[in-house]
Amino acid sequence: MTLVGQKAPDFKLTGVVNGEFKPVALADYKDKWLVLFFYPLDFTFV
Amino acid sequence: MDSEHSHKHWLNQPRNQGGIQGTEYPLLSDMKKQASRDYGVLHEGKGISLRGLFLINPAGEVEVEMINNFPIGRSSDEILRVLDAAQESKKGMVCPMNFSKGKEAINPKDAKTWFSKNAK
Repeated sequence: MTLVGQKAPDFKLTGVVNGEFKPVALADYKDKWLVLFFYPLDFTFV
Repeated sequence: MDSEHSHKHWLNQPRNQGGIQGTEYPLLSDMKKQASRDYGVLHEGKGISLRGLFLINPAGEVEVEMINNFPIGRSSDEILRVLDAAQESKKGMVCPMNFSKGKEAINPKDAKTWFSKNAK
């Protein structure tokens, strides 16, 4: 099933932001365009 | 799929050694695989994420979804192109095949003008 045209599923995860560990949520990008992408493992290409 | 600690290690590694030093956007850790699953990009057999990408608009809705198998890398040019097209669409325009920034989009209320100027 595609998500196109649907609300993006919410997430809140720990991320590395400017070298620091911080929580990052979909809500942080409210009113902004967001490119969210997944990749299998670190040290691979994207 | 990896921990935030692995992400940090990757971020600290120079590019000529396979790292991504200098990357400015956040890298998130999805150890529980919930986000991958919710976005439909988790390969359940292997337990890792496919190369899925989502363009999400300011209202939180998905405009574009692209999912590649593991060995196939993405095109940053194509991602910027669809971002330009999605932003143009918010002005009430529609973007035909091979639209890119600077090209004329179609006003759906007056498609004839576009065709008379652009179609051969």
